[in-house]
This record gives sequence, structure tokens and C-alpha cells, in this order.
Amino acid sequence: MFTRKWQPLRWVRYVALAPLLLLLNGCATHSIWWIFDPHGVGAKASFDYMMIDVAVMLGIVGLTAIMIVWFMWRYHKGKNRGTYDGKWAHSTTIEVFVWGIPIVAVGFLSWVVAINGSFAVNPYNPTVITRHLKPHGDPIEVDVIATDWQWLFIYPQYHMAVANELVVPAHTPIFFKLTSTAVTTDFFVPQLLGMIDVMPGMRTKDALESDSIGRYQGVAANYCGAGTSWMLFKTRVVSKSEFASWVHHAQQSTGNLTVAGFNRFAEPYININNKVEYFSQVQKGLFNQVILEVMQGRKWPLPMFMTENMVGYLKKQAAEHRA
Amino acid sequence: MLVNLPGPWNPWLGRLALSEIPYTNPILAPLFVVVVVLVLLMVAGITYYGKWGYLWKEWLTTVDHKKLGIMYIILGLVMLFRGFIDGLMMRTQQAMAVGPHASGMMGAVHGYLTPFHFGQIYSAHGMIMILLAATPLLVGIMNIVIPLQIGARDMAYPYLNALGLWITAAAVVLVMASLFVGDFAHNGWFGYAPIFELAYSPGVGVDYWIWTFQLVALGTTLGSINFIATIVKMRAPGMKWLRLPMFTWASLSANIIALTSFPCLQVAIGLVAADRYLGTHFFTAGFGGNLMLYTNLFWLWGHPEVYFVILPAFGMISEIIPTFSEKPLFGYVTMVLATFAIAGVSWLVWLHHFFTMGMGPYVSTEFSVATMLVGIPTGVKVFNWAFTMYRGRLTYTAAMYWALGALFLLLVGGLTGMMLSIPAINYMVHNSVFVVAHFHMMLLCIVYAIFGSVIYWFPKVFGYTLNEAWGKTMFWLFSAGTALVFIPMFMEGFMGMTRRLDWPFDPHWAPYLDIQMLGILAYVLSILAFVVMLYVSIRDRAQHRAAADAWGTSRSLEWLTASPVPFYNFAVVPQVNARDEAAWRREHGLSAQRASHYDAIHMPNNTGNAIIIGGLTFVLGFALTWRIWWLSLISLLAIIAMMISHSAKGDPGHVIPAEEMERMDREAERAMPRADLPRHSGGVLGGAIAYDSGAAGAGSRNLRGAPDHRP
Ligand code: HEM
Ligand SMILES: [Cu+2]
Ligand SMILES: [Cu+2]
Repeated sequence: MFTRKWQPLRWVRYVALAPLLLLLNGCATHSIWWIFDPHGVGAKASFDYMMIDVAVMLGIVGLTAIMIVWFMWRYHKGKNRGTYDGKWAHSTTIEVFVWGIPIVAVGFLSWVVAINGSFAVNPYNPTVITRHLKPHGDPIEVDVIATDWQWLFIYPQYHMAVANELVVPAHTPIFFKLTSTAVTTDFFVPQLLGMIDVMPGMRTKDALESDSIGRYQGVAANYCGAGTSWMLFKTRVVSKSEFASWVHHAQQSTGNLTVAGFNRFAEPYININNKVEYFSQVQKGLFNQVILEVMQGRKWPLPMFMTENMVGYLKKQAAEHRA
Repeated sequence: MLVNLPGPWNPWLGRLALSEIPYTNPILAPLFVVVVVLVLLMVAGITYYGKWGYLWKEWLTTVDHKKLGIMYIILGLVMLFRGFIDGLMMRTQQAMAVGPHASGMMGAVHGYLTPFHFGQIYSAHGMIMILLAATPLLVGIMNIVIPLQIGARDMAYPYLNALGLWITAAAVVLVMASLFVGDFAHNGWFGYAPIFELAYSPGVGVDYWIWTFQLVALGTTLGSINFIATIVKMRAPGMKWLRLPMFTWASLSANIIALTSFPCLQVAIGLVAADRYLGTHFFTAGFGGNLMLYTNLFWLWGHPEVYFVILPAFGMISEIIPTFSEKPLFGYVTMVLATFAIAGVSWLVWLHHFFTMGMGPYVSTEFSVATMLVGIPTGVKVFNWAFTMYRGRLTYTAAMYWALGALFLLLVGGLTGMMLSIPAINYMVHNSVFVVAHFHMMLLCIVYAIFGSVIYWFPKVFGYTLNEAWGKTMFWLFSAGTALVFIPMFMEGFMGMTRRLDWPFDPHWAPYLDIQMLGILAYVLSILAFVVMLYVSIRDRAQHRAAADAWGTSRSLEWLTASPVPFYNFAVVPQVNARDEAAWRREHGLSAQRASHYDAIHMPNNTGNAIIIGGLTFVLGFALTWRIWWLSLISLLAIIAMMISHSAKGDPGHVIPAEEMERMDREAERAMPRADLPRHSGGVLGGAIAYDSGAAGAGSRNLRGAPDHRP
């Protein structure tokens, strides 16, 4: 029954291994490997923990894989490489190692990575940022409101706000408070800070500090409806002086954000043209007001059959938002 | 009406209207035509060959666990294909749409699918693959194998078994109906609160999702009760707990998980239904609702569910590797312990699916460590399989290929799982395609184990082996697909690409998405290889007739009875003497031993009730989805009435006299090949499930249709 006959397409087995070649290319470039190229204090810490974890696990998994391949080769029937013992099915020594190795590895990872890491990058109080809070001067606060499907960043200290662009000074801790008007999504800037859920009627927190001036991509990392893919925001880390002049520039803009203005802003809108908007006046306590209203049942419902024909929907949207 | 429905509603048709049928959609309309033509062809074919009676008597009304298992597997394979087509569409969309300059067509800005349509596809893909493909395939194999492995005549509750199948089938039909009437949910297979609330998902999509979920949950729960009862109560004499085959152990633990966790899902989804139908505020953002509660309740089921599907797969690997290593499983007792350890811990880890909710470092840490604890017994299992091969004699059959492939996928999935279980790392890759790649490694591990077991147990059920060469070709093509799709996907995860993007905005991702398309091509070819394998195997079945012990080195009880298995499984229930009974008898030269004495046996009767109730549950689900109240009420009452009447009537079953048993036993024995392979025995032979159940009535004992299936 197991005679070796012609095997159709034997060569395809090599195709299965071909993608491994991609890994060679993997380390050559950077910058597109956002997770491997962190520029925020939190993202860097996460990256270090990842490397420890991968090193330990790869050690075990890699050796196991090699052992399996070796057994597969050595005990191939008919090749007479290893001796056959059809009764052997127990060995206390091996069992001790079989349980021992994973227990030790998990114990090590639990302490070094799971427990320490959870405190180090705890979004509400990341010790990697907060432990040297003083020397870097005053932290900046940013209130983040996600709508369907835009991001609004309010800088309460400067009484201004900006939609769909985040600008922060380098070497300065930034503390975010976040909420959403309609549905849940995730706030995420892959090279700077990890994800945090943004939920309607609730407030979450996160923190960011970066020493690298540059432009980074921010995304809505959780599916939140038709506009998710376009719910992007550029994040710029700039020098302190540049930040000051940016704030000044924003404060000169004509936009102003009252509660009524915000209610209009929060209507469903797919930000397909990367629209960035500045607001020089922001109603005091807008962030808390939004949370409160949502808790009391305020909704911005979606039209039926939202985007079955997207091009048509976008035309309608453009007409409605001719602002 | 308790809620404000957007759009029209009328008392007779509910929300149903002609405009709900997407006949203008350039993808769905042709698909619909194809499906209709296929169905018509099938109906015509059955009528032409006059097979309606056969179909009804032998399959649709059967309570035979093997036939039900076969139907579960066919259902699962069909849905695996449907899910694959979804996957193909998603990969095509992302490859076409990547970057800001990608062109768009058919109403989409980039690519050919609008976000709303794309959302429906991945939601259907996830739900179908986990609940309507993997689960039925596993339940099907458990159905066939468990009673055979423990020496039982059937499941503890044969009628309940049929009911489980037909309710699952109703769920399948419901989810397929959503393609052609109305739409499906776009909120992901697990549902996000509050996007599935009426305000943000006004269509019927979420309602389809709710009722499909409820139906599968019901079907699977019924099945799990049955499996547990069967394993606990129906073991052959001498089948002590520590002699139970590993697959049966794994299934037992999996079904305990299912029984305890599915109700949680039903409650969670039931509360979503209450929000959408009754206007309650369980998971809304306002009015005191708590949307985080939904996420907790869902994953409180969701995580155990992933172990419900992987544990049987582990069991399958534990059967295949020893057989083709010609050795007992290494460390049987620790393997049992590891299985139950995995099952036990699986209830305590659900929060790792939403570390990003911001639960604080103390809570995160607890769930992180608990999650990593799962890695310990999982690691033990891998080592034990490795040491099963150590000092063995390995034969590389197609089944062994798949089992070993599963092993390597498990290693990759385990490694990445251990990364995800650490909050500090999870924040960076959660909701990215890295997670998608992780769980596809795990789910593909299951799929590999399933293909391995289909090949492995096929001769037991049908009496001949599948073509090895095409089985291996399929393996390599499938593996090429796996590598080409998921290695680039892991890499995209490290590039920060998040999941569920209908428009991948960064053009740097393009080459990786293109490579994935090659992988999809390889998968398509592997499906063709599968079809060829079936064709060639059926054509050459005469040359590949299997003996009782189809592989010559098999170990557990099922390999003692005839291949194909007669409808009564064992003519004489065997006495179990050892852990690996078949191997034990072979070693003691008892394989050829046969029964000297036969007894009359008692078998359950067929019933049409199960399929009718299944059909009614579909009607109920459909009516509820479209809010056709009168129809919902009628179908619900009909279901209850049929349940009560069936229970009141009971099933007297039928008796097969001893002489008849002896005759069938001899007959089955004569039909099997004699030479070269070790003889079976324990005294069990008879008709084959493939062509006679005889369960329709005590009278008909002819081996009808035998020439179709034998040399
Ligand atoms: C060593 C064992 C495992 C560990 C440590 C592990 C860990 C994890 C973690 C932490 C997540 C959450 C990732 C995230 O969303 O950020 C996850 C997701 C997932 N895992 Fe695993 N896992 C393991 C085994 C499995 C197995 C055996 C399966 C199933 C067969 C599985 C299927 C899944 C699925 C389906 C998801 C994601 C569901 C979704 O978000 O759609 N995992 N796993
Ligand atoms: Cu998938
Ligand atoms: Cu999980």
C-alpha cells in the first residue's frame, strides 16, 4: 500500500518553504517595520519585552523543532538509523524535564515580562514615563474624542483643538484622556505608543513620551464601521519651540468648537481626503460634557445601508459637509 | 414594536421586501444563479435515479452515529469551502486596494468591495470557519470515532444526536440565506459593542448573526451532553478510565468545556437580541448599559471555545502519531493530565482578548500569567508526541504528514500566543494582522489534524483507503498556501498593519499582500488536489480495500471491527484487556480470534422528527431575523409540540436476532481482504454503514447496493 509511486507535483514542497526567504529581507530595511523601530518611550519598552520573550520562547520552540526533525529523520522506518523499541512509552526523567522546562520558562517570563512589563507600560501610569516626570518640565494634556470617523484632539491647557492631526513636543510627557461619541475603537500610534480602547460614555487614559522628532502614523486600530480605514491621523513629534509656534498658529485659526459645533462635527463622516481642522476656541469641559451626554443616551446614528455604494455615499457626504 | 425600526415593516412579511434581495449586486446575483442551478441539478439527479426514498430512509432520518458523523463532515467541508471563498475575496480586496492610488470599482473607492461589504465578509468568514466549519468537522469525527473507540453500539442518545446535526444544518442554511436575502453583520465574528446596536447597525445583518449563533450554540450544547453521557456510561466491559484512547479523553474534556461555556454565549447573544428587539440597554453606551460586559461575556465563552476546537485536534494527533510510529503514546497519564489542565485553565484567561481595555496592571498580570500557564501543558503535549516518535519506526503516510504538519503549526502558534499573552507586547500587536496570523496557525493546526484524521479513519468508515500520493500532493500544496499567506501576514503585523482594513493605506504592504495572493492560488490548487484525491480513491477502491486494521499498526479498539463498520459497530461487544486493545491483541496473537457466540441486539429506530425540528428551527431563525412575528410564534409552538410528542412516544427500537448477527458478521468478514495485513477480530462483522443501516425496521437485512462499494 505504501509503495513509492509517482507523486504528482512533488516539487511543490519546496514552494512551501520559499516564503522563509522573505525573512532574510526582513532586517535589511527599517521604518516600514514600525514595531521593530519604536520611537516612543512606551513602544521602546514594549519592544524590549518582546525581544526577551521571543528569545526565551524561540530557544525552547526552536530546540523542540530541531529535536522533532531529528527524530523524524532518525527513526524513519526502513532506514535503520535508530533502534526500534516498540514498548518504550514512559521515562520519569524525561517527564520531569517535559514538565520542568515549560514551568521554569513560564515562571521566568511571568516575573520578568508579564508582571514587570504590565507596570512599566501600564497605560494609566506607565512607570517608564512617570518615574522621571520632574526633569522634563510640565506634562501636556490632550483630550481625545473619537467620532464616527474622525479624531479630535483637544489641548485644554491651550484652549485649542485640532482634528485628525496630533502634534506633540519631544522630551515631554503627554497624558491622554480618551472617549468616543458613537462606538468603540482603539487609539494607536505603532511607533510611539500601544493601543488603548476608546469607548463611548467612558474615559480611558494613555501616556506618550518621545525623544525622536519625526512624523508617525496614527490609526484607529479597532473596526468601528465604514470609515475605519480612513480614520488616520498623522502624529508629529516636534521640538519644544516648534510646538509653541504650532500652538500659536492653531490659536489664530477661525474655527471654534461650541457644544453645538461639536454635535455637528460628530456626524458620521468618512475622512477620505485627510482633512485637518483647527479650532481656536473650545468650549470649556467639552470632553466631560460629551461623556455625560453619551451616558444619557445621546447618539449619532448611522443612516441605513451606510456605504453599500461608497462612491455614491461619499458624494452625498461631500454635499452635506460643504463647510 | 418595542424599538424604533428604521425602514418599513409590515405584519405579514416583517422587514422582508423584494428590495432586500440584492439582485443588482454584480457579485451576489451570479452567485445566486449558480447556487440555484446546482440545487436544481441535484434535485433532478436524485429524482432521475430514484434516490429520494434511499436518501430519506438511509440518511435524512438516520440516527446512526456514523452516518450523522459523515453528514456533519460533509457540512463542515462545504462550509470550509464557503469560508475559504470569503478569505479569497478578502485577500483579493486588500491586494487590489493597497495604497492611496489604488483604483476602485463597483462602488468602492479602492478595490472592488465597499467597507460595509468587506465587513460582512470577514464577519461571516470568522463565524463560519470557527462555528460552522471546524466545529461540525470535529463533532463529525467525534461522532464517528468515540462510540467505536469505547466499544459502544451508538451514542447514548441517538435521537438527540440527529437533532444536533439538523439544528447545526439549520444554522448553516440561515447563514447562507444571508448572502441572498438581506445582508450579514459587519461587526466581526465576535461582535463589538455597541456597534451591533440598532443605532449603528440598522439592517438585518446583526440579526442573522444573532440567530445563527444561537442555533449553533444550541446544536453544539446538545451534542456535548450526548458525548459526555456516552463516554461516561457506554464503555465496553474492561474499558477502564485509564484505558480510554487519547482521542476519547480529549473529546471528553472538550465537551465538558462546551457544555459549561456555550450557555454563557447564549446569554451574551441573547442580551444583544434583547437590546435589538426589546429596546433594553444591556450593552448600549447610554442609559446605564455596559458595553464592556458584552466583551467579557463573549470571551468568557470565546476562549474556552478555542480550546473546545483544539483539544479534539490534539486527540487526533495523539492517535495518528503512535500508529505510524508503531509505539504506544509516550506518557499517557501525563497526557491526560495535560489535557484536563488545558481545559481547566481555559476558563481563567478570557481577559487576554482585551488587555487594551485598560483594566490596570494587577488584573492584566493575573490574566497574563494564567494565559501563559496554558503553555505548560501544551508544551508537555508537544514533547510527548516527540518522544512517541523517539525509538519508533516512522511511516510517512499522508495522515502522518498532516499530523506532523499540525505539530509544527502548533509550535508557531504557541510561540506567538506566548507573545500575545504578555500585556506589554499585546498593546503593540493586538488588533493587528499579527493576531490574525497567530490564530490561523492554531486553527490551521486543527484543520491539518482534521485532514489527517479524515485520511486515517476513512478506511474504517468506507472500507477502502484514500489515495496516498494525492493526499500528499494536497498536503504540500496546502502547506505552500499556509506559508505564503501567513508568513507575510506575521511580517505585516510587525509593520503595524491592523486587521479588518478594507483599504490598507500604506503602499509598503503591497508586495506582502501580493505574495499572499500566491498563497491563495496554492490553496485553490490544494482544493483541486483534494477533489482529485476523492475521485481517484473512489475509482480505485477495489485495489485499496481495507482490512479491519487498515494500517496494520493501529492501536485502539475501533480497529477490531470490520471495515467498513457495520451499522451495529460490534457484533459482539468486545472485552477490553489493555490500553491499546488492538495492539495488545496483535501482540498476543489474538487478532484472528472470533466470537463463538452471538446474542440478539437492540438498535434504535430511525425518525424523521429530528430533521423536521431542524427545519423548523431554521424557519424560527429566519422569521425572527426578519421580525415576522406570527411565523416565529407558529414555528416555536410547532417545535415544542414535536419535542413533547416525540418524548411522549419514546422509541421502542428494534431487535436483531442472534442468527442474523452471526450471518452478517461472517458476510462482512468475507468481504474484507485476507492477505498481507494482520487479521482483525474479536468477532465482529456485518453490513456496512455505507450501504445498509437496517435501522429502518427489524425486517430488512439485505446488503443492498453492496456492489457499489466493494471489489
Ligand atoms: C499556548 C497557547 C495559546 C496562547 C498563549 C494564546 C494566546 C492568545 C492571546 C493572548 C490572544 C489575544 C490576542 C489579541 O487579541 O490581542 C489570542 C487570540 C486568539 N487565539 Fe490564542 N493562544 C493560544 C492558543 C490558541 C489556540 C489553541 C487557539 C485555537 C484554536 C487560539 C485561537 C485564538 C483566536 C481565535 C484568537 C483571536 C480571536 C479574535 O480576536 O478574533 N489560540 N490567543
Ligand atoms: Cu480566516
Ligand atoms: Cu483566548
